[in-house]
Amino acid sequence: MNKAALYITAASTVSHQPTFGNPGFSSTLGPIVADNALISPDYKAYIDPGLLRRMSKILRMAVACSKDCIAQAEIEQPDAIVVGTGLGCLHDTEKFLNTSLTVDGLLPPTSFIQSTHNTMAGQISLSIGNHGYNMTHTQNTLSFEHALLDASMLLREGDRHVLVGAADEHIDILEDIAAQLSFEAPARLTSGASFFVLSKENRGNAAAILTDVHTTGGIENAEAEIDAFLIRNGLNASDVDLVFHAGEPVQGVKGNVPYLPLSGVYATASAFALHYAVDSLQTNASLKNVLICNALRKSNLGLILLQSVEA
Amino acid sequence: MDSLKEDLKKQIIEQLNLEDLTVADIADDALLFNDQGLGLDSIDALELIVLLEKYHGIQLTNPEEGKEAFRSIDTMAEYIRKRKAA
Repeated sequence: MNKAALYITAASTVSHQPTFGNPGFSSTLGPIVADNALISPDYKAYIDPGLLRRMSKILRMAVACSKDCIAQAEIEQPDAIVVGTGLGCLHDTEKFLNTSLTVDGLLPPTSFIQSTHNTMAGQISLSIGNHGYNMTHTQNTLSFEHALLDASMLLREGDRHVLVGAADEHIDILEDIAAQLSFEAPARLTSGASFFVLSKENRGNAAAILTDVHTTGGIENAEAEIDAFLIRNGLNASDVDLVFHAGEPVQGVKGNVPYLPLSGVYATASAFALHYAVDSLQTNASLKNVLICNALRKSNLGLILLQSVEA
Repeated sequence: MDSLKEDLKKQIIEQLNLEDLTVADIADDALLFNDQGLGLDSIDALELIVLLEKYHGIQLTNPEEGKEAFRSIDTMAEYIRKRKAA
């Protein structure tokens, strides 16, 4: 069954790359190195100073990207806000837990309130005065794909514009945990946030078409899963112009780009890959079909298929 | 310079993430919960209770005491000295 097309009408990312407020960034990216800092916008331009001082990095990134997306899409309010996060607001969680070890009485309210996974979606809605559907998905390395699936269903059920995105933040203890688990990260562990407006209609501002999203856990044969996904969408591997991948490259396609050396490793880095792919589609007219293949965790597979608006 | 007041200002800036302020910007007698002063709010009041215990080992359980103690840096320093002397 053919599904109605969904359009990406805004995209915004805070990362180690010059992604924020910089269309065409995809042609200028280079691998991040150890001393690269996140390239952050002037948050005061997006967030009220009274709220800003209480916000941790992940909240600042999420709210600034969201407001940037709403401005780009030229909408007053999205009908829904959907956020994916693998590990949630780690900085405030760590701060709250550390204080609970040293203080007997009252615990710090700010870090308690802001330690939950759904703080981002909540703060976004408070910042823009949104009263619509507000949901947070946390599904390990597939958190962003699950948020996208939710957003797609909302649009197919009648919503017009959904703000959907993902963010994760790095704290130092992750390095210790990775070492204790003998986890060899394919790139530096870090933070990042990417948000999008997904719309039912193209009002002439669509950057790309979101064709399909698929997630599978407990994967045994990723190649067969990818082939089945492409066939379901009327494509063969040879029809795919470019794959942005975490994990193994995809065989039989025209080109593969590993995105983790550019984004760094965090649970929702596939949201960075989506913005990278959208920007590539806008700047390179030869691209028609682009696939994001997220196998950051080998047993989980997330697939996002995009098409150029002109295709 | 009163080092307790100096420390309190540093601790308040850190605990409440008052990134744009320095110790020199906070007058000893400035009203903490007044827009003409620091413009703090009710969540900040709870953070100040945490601050008292974390840095000074003082548990504030009577809200009426807090109202007076948290008027300014001067009153906070006075309250801490009084509790430590008791």
